[in-house]
Amino acid sequence: MTTLNDYLIASGLLFSIGLFGVMFRRNIIVIFMCLEMMLNAANLSLVAFSRFNTSAGLPDYNGQMLVFFIITVAAAEVAVGLAIIIAMFRSRRTVDVDEISSMKG
Amino acid sequence: MPLPPGGAFNNRQPAARSGTNTNDPDRLSPLDLLIFLPIIAAVAMAFGAPARSAALAAAGANLLIALCLAFTFVPGDGFQFEARRAVLNSPAMGFNVGIDGLSLVMVLLTVLVTLAAVWVRPPKEGGEGFWYSSALLIAAGAMGAFVSTDLVFFYAFHELALIPTFLMIGMRGTGNNKDAAWKITIYLGFGSLVLLAGLAWLVVAAAAKGGEMTFDMAKLAAQARGIEGGTQEHIYLTLLIGFGILISLFPFHSWAAPAYASAPAPVAMLHSGVLKKFGLYGLLRVAVPMLPLGQSAEWIQHILIILLLGNILFIGLVTIAQKELDMVLGNSSVMHMGYIFLGIASGNAIGYGGAVLLMFAHGISIALLFALCAAVREKTGTLQFHRLGGMAKGAPVLGLLFGMGAFASIGLPGFANFAGEVNIFFGGFANKSDCGCLGWLEWATILALWGVVMSAVYMLRAYRAVFKGQPGQAVYGVTDIGQDTRIPALLLVAALLITGFFPNLLLDLVRPVVEALAPVSR
Amino acid sequence: MPAYYLEIAVVVLGLVLLLVEAFTPPQHKRRIGWAALAGIAATFLLLLTVKSHCGCDSPMWQFYDDSSLSLFFKGLALLCTAFVLMLGLEYLPVLEKYSARAGGGPATGEFFALPVLICAGLMWMASAIDITTIFLSLELTTIGFYIMVAYMRRNVGSLEAGVKYLILGALSTGILVYGLSWLFGATGQTGLDAIRTALPSAARGPALFAFALILIALCFKIAAVPFHFWVPDVYQGAPTPVTAFLSVGSKAAGFLVAIRLMEPFLAVESLRTTCIAILVAVACATLILGNLAAIPQGNFKRLLAYSSISHAGFLLLALASDRHTGELTSTRIIAFYLSAYLCMTLLAFAVLIIINKSTGSDELKAFDGLHRRNPFLGFATLIAAASLAGVPLTAGFLGKFFVFIAAAGAQQWLAIGIAVAGAAAGFYYYFKVIRHVYWNTAPEGAAAIPVSPVAKSLLIILIAATLVLGVYPQLILGLL
Repeated sequence: MTTLNDYLIASGLLFSIGLFGVMFRRNIIVIFMCLEMMLNAANLSLVAFSRFNTSAGLPDYNGQMLVFFIITVAAAEVAVGLAIIIAMFRSRRTVDVDEISSMKG
Repeated sequence: MPLPPGGAFNNRQPAARSGTNTNDPDRLSPLDLLIFLPIIAAVAMAFGAPARSAALAAAGANLLIALCLAFTFVPGDGFQFEARRAVLNSPAMGFNVGIDGLSLVMVLLTVLVTLAAVWVRPPKEGGEGFWYSSALLIAAGAMGAFVSTDLVFFYAFHELALIPTFLMIGMRGTGNNKDAAWKITIYLGFGSLVLLAGLAWLVVAAAAKGGEMTFDMAKLAAQARGIEGGTQEHIYLTLLIGFGILISLFPFHSWAAPAYASAPAPVAMLHSGVLKKFGLYGLLRVAVPMLPLGQSAEWIQHILIILLLGNILFIGLVTIAQKELDMVLGNSSVMHMGYIFLGIASGNAIGYGGAVLLMFAHGISIALLFALCAAVREKTGTLQFHRLGGMAKGAPVLGLLFGMGAFASIGLPGFANFAGEVNIFFGGFANKSDCGCLGWLEWATILALWGVVMSAVYMLRAYRAVFKGQPGQAVYGVTDIGQDTRIPALLLVAALLITGFFPNLLLDLVRPVVEALAPVSR
Repeated sequence: MPAYYLEIAVVVLGLVLLLVEAFTPPQHKRRIGWAALAGIAATFLLLLTVKSHCGCDSPMWQFYDDSSLSLFFKGLALLCTAFVLMLGLEYLPVLEKYSARAGGGPATGEFFALPVLICAGLMWMASAIDITTIFLSLELTTIGFYIMVAYMRRNVGSLEAGVKYLILGALSTGILVYGLSWLFGATGQTGLDAIRTALPSAARGPALFAFALILIALCFKIAAVPFHFWVPDVYQGAPTPVTAFLSVGSKAAGFLVAIRLMEPFLAVESLRTTCIAILVAVACATLILGNLAAIPQGNFKRLLAYSSISHAGFLLLALASDRHTGELTSTRIIAFYLSAYLCMTLLAFAVLIIINKSTGSDELKAFDGLHRRNPFLGFATLIAAASLAGVPLTAGFLGKFFVFIAAAGAQQWLAIGIAVAGAAAGFYYYFKVIRHVYWNTAPEGAAAIPVSPVAKSLLIILIAATLVLGVYPQLILGLL
């Protein structure tokens, strides 16, 4: 029997992997994928919380509603984000974040 | 001649309540004119009004209004000519104005120095509008601070004057003016912020015992009595540091002399003469009456006494070592703040009265000296002693007027400074000690007396170096000052002499206020 | 009229503008801007007619709030958008240079349609009282800003700023959502009202974990430590009107969300002390970093970026000092501070745009001798810098003073000390701007700087607002 804790540990792992990826990877595309992983970690925990928070035998659907919104928003974010990254790649010919540093101070 | 301290024959009963002090004060007050005439004139200049005439008209009108107010003022009748305009309902904040005897003296000082300051012409052609409007805005800021009875506006008006000061010293100053302007701005900005934090603390602490938060000084004074002793001491110390930076109290004084030395004449006159008195006025208006336990706490007394001795003795020695006229004047201005602090430290009505009188006298005399110092610089192009000398031959009127200013500054009898200093010294000994021995205050007073000797040394030395002896290389062919310097200088000299011979003109105004400040028994 | 019609009106306006934009010839894109401005102005007038709801028991009011506070922040969002559109019209020549299509003329129409949609997001943020609506409205503004920041695609700085904003924005979204999921898990609720009732009985650990994650994520929106490092680069790279929008609109709405989300935590006595300590620590760190880093800046936009960080520090300090101050609650202080901040910051950006148009530079050196090249512009800079520094009789002063009062009431002595030092540092770097304008002489052959009538009226409005708020705070505080 899987418990709430198992789900939370899995989502926590997902979140940590995503966070470390964002912090330590240099490729923008990989970073972007890690960001999506963080969102999905949140989705997982939301669904788990909502599944284990039953009222009258039914899950609390408020949390699951939020999950759908998150998925939609993530799609929008990817659409805009990839467009910006492509525009960036066209002008700079790189996807390495270390090379995106013309501004300093 | 100055009267003995205590002013025995002047215990006039407060006059019957006049109509000026009702519960429903007017929406407008003649004091608004005092604040807004200079501002209106400055704005008019921005739109092309003739600068000099507008400035003189505004300053002259203000002098007349202030004199009228002084004659209709009833000493000892609390705040008069009041007006209240709420700008915030809760906590109560309002553009409230009103004057009592203490503020009236400061108002008179402001209008006198302002008129003298705008009379001085800019040394170079061009930028007249900026020159006069800055002077007027500084004056308006000082005036607003002195007549506001709301803590926020009291603070706000003073700091408003900071910007024209900054711009004028930086743009129209001489010598190392940009560094000096930078220094004065950072120092005063920091001082004001410390002060602001102290005021916020005071307001919050006063309201902590229940009751609504208020910025109205009268209500705040009533509320503040509930603050506990320890808190009062800490707030008092914060305010002392905040005001102290603005007044150039000893360890925070280093901005003053270079700024005054390089400032254009009207700014030096207005800032050292009037604006710097804001801090002292604030101590007497806010810190002393609202935080009596802080004022009488021994450890704070001791700190204050040590610092003011720093002002008098240390800066006195520094002043003697100066080799330029403007630096002598700038440092002497810092030094004389020590005497006023001594009056405040004495904690009795005599000392307070002397402090107020000296605030007035010092404001007038230092403004006079700075105006004449600017004339010397304009005539000779230098203020270094080794290049000056013998100017009294070519410019006898300048020499005479400067001599009077120097004598006033030393504290010779006949000038208002003397009356102030004497009252302060008597105030220093007026507290009866239990053991019959000399306390901190008495020793400080004795040491401070030596400061007078130092004043005499550096002032006479400066006078001799500039006006007597062999003519220096910069002095050849020097001409005397024209009407543009003579008239304002004579105005200031007259004010010094009148208040010097009849100090009760001012002391009568101030006495009811300072007697209320002094605790009944100490 | 119910309040949510306003958002609907703004969204419809934005979509119509996008549609019309597609059929507008390139030389007439300016008209889109004017149309957007007119629409926003009309919505602002509609806002004045809005009445709070009747208390009828519709489920709508569980996730949508129309209290006077929400309406006030909607007004701020609308005003800010209107000013940004005006700035955008002023900025058009620069924009055209950097946003050319591959084959043809400049593509500037969306530059006026997107702020309208972002404005809708900001207005929803002002009303959001359910974590779902909070998340959605936040994302609506954030995604809009991704595009706006990277709008000048022929400009490397703008693109870089866009990528930075994108990554950090998405990161903050991830953290926020994770925090919200824990808040949901701890309380089992999504509505803030329900959360407030459920939180006292929630487990302490998850609640604090949620608090920390949410605070970190919101720090991105309000430009506070630890999520501040995007601010200088993005501010510098983004088109200046967008920078202004980011620093004012985004921060204002972000703070209202922060107030709403923090409030349940601060109401629980067992969590309160810890939460306040965290908030104060964040505020102090923000104050220190923002002010210290601003001192050496020579670029006006970066200076304003750090100034934005330091103002966030003051606002956080007010947020951490709730209670104790009677009528002057921290919410009211923040609302007033943000109104003041709107006026003075937009004023500064307006001056910057005008100068950039003539000189092509954002550096402080471009301000040299401004008072001779255009006295009015010099005066506007003086007022903006003085107000940002907190010189009295300007709006910025009262904002800071209220924060000091709140902090003194909450006895945050250390924080007050840091705030005083920070404000003193502020004197230093804002007066540095004034020094450039008034003391320094213009470079040889520098021409006078022209100011268009639109820009001039904008400057006059903002100067007047800055001064009026500085002496008559009742105007704002009476609205709440």
